[in-house]
Amino acid sequence: MPEAVGPAPLRRLSNGEYLHTLSDLFPDVAATLPPLPADLGVGFFDNEAQAQEPSDVRIARFETIAALHAQAAVATLAQVRTLTGCEDWFTPALATACGERFIDGEGMRVFRRPVTAEEHARLSAAFGRWLGALDFEGAVQLTLTAMLQSPQFLYRVELPGPPGEPTPVEPYAMASRLSYLLWESAPDQTLLDAAQADALRTPEQLRTQVTRLLADPRARRTLWSFHRQWLGLERVLDDEHTQRTAEVDPGWTPASAQAAARETQRFVEETMALDGTLSALLLSRSAWLDDESARLYGLSAVSGAVELPATERAGVLTRVAFLAGTSHRGATSPPIRGNAIALRLLCQLPNPPPPGVDLSPPKEQPGGGPKTNRTLFEERTAPPTCQGCHASLNGLGFGLEHYGAAGAYQVQERGLPIDARGVLRRTDVDGPFDGALELSQRLARSTVVQRCAAEQWVRYALGRAPVAVEGPQVELLTQRFLDSGGDVRALLTDIALSPTFRLRHAEATP
Amino acid sequence: MTLDRRQLLKALGLGALVGPRAGALAAPQDTPRRVVFFVQPHGHVPKGWTMPVPGPTDDVGRLSLPDLPAERWSEVLRPLTPFASKLSVIEGLSHASVLADIAQVNRTGGDANNHQIAVAGLLTGARAAQNPGQRCTGGARSIDQELALRLAAPGRFGSRVYGAGYVPNQTVSPFSFLGPAQATPVVGDPKVAFDDLIGATSQAPGGTPSRAERLRGERASVLDLVGQEFEALAPRLGADDRRKLEHHRALVRDLERSLASGVAPACEAAFDASGTRVTQFMRVIALALRCDLTRVVTYVAPVPQGDEFGYPADANVHGMYAHGSIEGATACGQLYTPLNERAMIDLGTWYARHLATLLGELDAVPEGDGTVLDHTAVVWLTELGTPTHEHHDAFALVAGSLGGTLQTGQYLRYPRTASSPLPGFPLTGPAHNRLLVTLLQALGFRDRTFGLPGAIAADGTSVSFAGPLPELQRRS
Repeated sequence: MPEAVGPAPLRRLSNGEYLHTLSDLFPDVAATLPPLPADLGVGFFDNEAQAQEPSDVRIARFETIAALHAQAAVATLAQVRTLTGCEDWFTPALATACGERFIDGEGMRVFRRPVTAEEHARLSAAFGRWLGALDFEGAVQLTLTAMLQSPQFLYRVELPGPPGEPTPVEPYAMASRLSYLLWESAPDQTLLDAAQADALRTPEQLRTQVTRLLADPRARRTLWSFHRQWLGLERVLDDEHTQRTAEVDPGWTPASAQAAARETQRFVEETMALDGTLSALLLSRSAWLDDESARLYGLSAVSGAVELPATERAGVLTRVAFLAGTSHRGATSPPIRGNAIALRLLCQLPNPPPPGVDLSPPKEQPGGGPKTNRTLFEERTAPPTCQGCHASLNGLGFGLEHYGAAGAYQVQERGLPIDARGVLRRTDVDGPFDGALELSQRLARSTVVQRCAAEQWVRYALGRAPVAVEGPQVELLTQRFLDSGGDVRALLTDIALSPTFRLRHAEATP
Repeated sequence: MTLDRRQLLKALGLGALVGPRAGALAAPQDTPRRVVFFVQPHGHVPKGWTMPVPGPTDDVGRLSLPDLPAERWSEVLRPLTPFASKLSVIEGLSHASVLADIAQVNRTGGDANNHQIAVAGLLTGARAAQNPGQRCTGGARSIDQELALRLAAPGRFGSRVYGAGYVPNQTVSPFSFLGPAQATPVVGDPKVAFDDLIGATSQAPGGTPSRAERLRGERASVLDLVGQEFEALAPRLGADDRRKLEHHRALVRDLERSLASGVAPACEAAFDASGTRVTQFMRVIALALRCDLTRVVTYVAPVPQGDEFGYPADANVHGMYAHGSIEGATACGQLYTPLNERAMIDLGTWYARHLATLLGELDAVPEGDGTVLDHTAVVWLTELGTPTHEHHDAFALVAGSLGGTLQTGQYLRYPRTASSPLPGFPLTGPAHNRLLVTLLQALGFRDRTFGLPGAIAADGTSVSFAGPLPELQRRS
C-alpha cells in the first residue's frame, strides 16, 4: 500500500466510548449517571475529532461521573481489595505501600499504558495528602476520581514521534487504536501485554489481534454503532415517531418505536456476526422478534429467530426502524426515504428544496376522490423546479411504498393498488425496478454502495474525513472490499493494517 | 475617590430604596450586566406581531409602548404589556447574513437548507461551515459564546445554553457555537440545569462535616490534581492538540473555582418542578442571573406539541401549520388557510407568555437602582423571518436596558430599503448582525461588526451589516 499518512488529531473518547470504557473497567459498578452532552457529529458519526472541543457542561459531567464511579468502586471492603490488590492497609506503612501499588496497577488500566514515574510522583503525593486528611478508602476514591478526569483517560493521547517520515504508532497507543476501532472501548489485558512486548507492529501481529478482537462480543458495539449512525437506524426513536395516527397503526406507542429499534439492532449485530457482508445487510430476511416487533411485521405468535416473509421483506431497508424512521405520523414520505438512501447508501447529497417551497405532507383535496400517497407526491413535485432533484429522490422512495408509515406491508392504500415502481439514477445499477426487494437486490450489487460504505468506515475509523493524500489508500481499501464481496470484517482488518492507521507523523497535522 | 449617590446608598444598604427611575440608569461598575438570548424555531406571522405605526414607511417609524393601551397591542406581543416601558420591539429586521450565505452557497454549492443555514447563522451572523456531503453547521463562534469569553470571570459559568436543542431535518442544532462546527452543548433538562448551578456552589452548613462531606470537600483538590495532569501533558503535543488540552484545562480550573467559591445566601434555592419544562427553565435562568452564576444565557425554546397550545395532540407545527400560514406567500402548492395562520399566531403568543414569565422573574428582583431586568438584555429572536422560510423580514424584541445603555419603551418599524443579498427577494431592513453589534457596544466593547461585515447585493450594490442600530442606543 502507498505509505501516505494523513493527520492524527487528538481524539477524545466519544460518549459511547467513554461509557463502554467505564463499564469495562468497572463491570460491577452500577451508578445512575447524569446525561452527557450529545456528541455532535460533523459527518454521520459522533467520534469526529474536529467536533470534540471541550465545554463547561462536559467538564462538569465528567467530574460528576468520575466522582460517582469512584465512590461506587470503593463501596465495599471486597471492592477496595480488588481495586488495590491489597488485603491489608491497617498500618501507615502498609497503607502507603498499598497506595503505591494501587496507583501503578489501576493507573495502567485507566491510562491504558504504564504510569510514568512523573505521573506516579504526582498521584502518590496527592494520595498521601488524602490518606492523612481522610483515610485509605477515601484516598483511593479521590485518586481514582482524579485519574478518571485526567487527559490520559479522557483522550487517546499519542505522543508525537521523531520528526521526518511517518513512524509506527507506539505500541500502547496502537493497542488503543485497535480496541477503540473494534470495541469502542479500552484495550484488554491481552492487548496491553502485546503492547508491552512490542508485538503490535507487523501485519501478522496486527491481523492476529484484529481477528481476536472481532471475535469478541465487544465487537458488536462497533458494528452496531457504525451502522446505526451511517444508516440513521435510530431515527425511529426521535420524538416525531413516538406517535402514529390511528389510520396508520392504532396500536403504535413509544414502545413500538423502541421495539423496532431493538429488532434492527439485533438484526445488524447478528448479520454482521454471521455472514458479515454488506449485501447480507441489504438482503437477509432473518429477524429476531419479540411480541411487539412481531406485531409490527404483521406476524402473530412468533418470537425469537425467524425468517420474514420472502415476498415482503429483505434487508435493512425493509425493516420497521428504517421505514418508520423516514415517515411522518400519518403517512410515508417517499422523498425522505429516497433522500435517506441517496445520502447514506449512495453518498449523494441532494440539493435542499428551494426557498419557499411547501414541505408539508400533501393531502387529498376535498371532493377530489381518493389518491394514493404516491400520486399526491407526484402532483406536489411535478413542477420542473422540483423535478431536478425529485426525479431521483422519488425514484428511490416510491420503491418503498409497499410499507406504510409504521412499516407494515400493504398491497393497497385507500382502496387503490400500490404502485411501487421506481427508478435508480446516477448509480452503476441505474434503471427501473419494482418494489423494495428488487431495489435492495440492485443496491446490494452496486459498486457505488460498497464504495460509499468503505469510505464511511474509513471516516469512522479515523475520526475524520480522509484527506487527499490518502485517496489511493482509500481506493485500495475500497477495491479490496469489493473483491471480498463486501466483507465488513475483512475491511476492518484492512483498515487496521493500512499505513494511515498504523503510522503517524510527528505532528498531529503534518 | 468619592462615592456617587447610588454607590453610597448601596454601601449603606439602602440601594433598594432608590428604585427604578426614568431617564439614564447608569449602572455602577459593580452591578452585573447580562444578556439572555431567547430563541424560538420558525418565525412570526406578520399579522400577529405588527402594530400600525404612523408615518412614511421609508423612514424609521416609532410607537411609544407605555402610551399604547393594551387592547391596541398586537396579539403575539400582548402578554408583554406589563413590561411596556422596558421593551424595544423591532419590526423589519433582516437575517441578512443568512441571505448572503444562501446566495453564496447557491453559487458555489453546498447545503442551503433553510432551517439548517438559519440555525447556523442566526447567532453567528457568519457564513455556515459547509461539510461536503453533510448538512451545514455553525461557521463561527456565536455571539453568546463571544460574550461568554469576554465577560468571563473566575467562579462563574461563562454561559449557560439551555433548552430543546432544535431538530430540523433530524440534525441537532443548538444555535450556539463555540467555534466553527463546534456546537455548544445544550442542557435539556431543567432539573439538571438547576443542579449544575446550585450543586456546583452549595456547601455544607456549619457543624462538624461528615466523612461524605469531607470527601465532597476535596472535589476542588481533585480537580487541582487533574489540572496538573493536563499541564504536564499538553506541552508535549502538537499545536492543535495542545490548544485543545489547554482549553480543557482552563475549563477544569473554572470548575475548581466554582467549587471553591461559596454560594450567596440569597441563592439558597430548591428546584420548583411546577409548570411546564419551559416555565421551569425560565425560573432556572432567573436564578442563574440573579445569583450572578452566569451572565450569558441562550435558551432555545421547543416546538410544543399541539395540545400544549390548544391544538390536537398530534398537530405537527412544522408540517401542518407553518408553511401555509401567510396569506399571499407563494409556494410550490399553495396551502394558506386561516387555520394555519391562527395556529402560528397562537404559537407566537405561547412563546410570548413564557418570555413574560422570565421577564417577571427578573423584574421582581431589586438590584442597584432598578431590578435585575434593568441590568439585562433579554433578546427574543426567531430562527426564520417567517414560518414560510423567509429570512428577509424578521421580528425581534429586546427587554431590559442593559444597565441603562439601551433605549426602551418603543416599537420600531424599520424601513425596508436595503437591497437583498439573495437574488429575487424584496428590499430588506437592517441586518440582524447590527443588533448583535448593538449589544456588544452596549456592554462597552468597540466592535463595529459581528460576523459578516456586509455583502454584495444581487443588484450589484454593496450592503453593510456594520455598526449598531442607533435607535436602540441610549445616549447618556
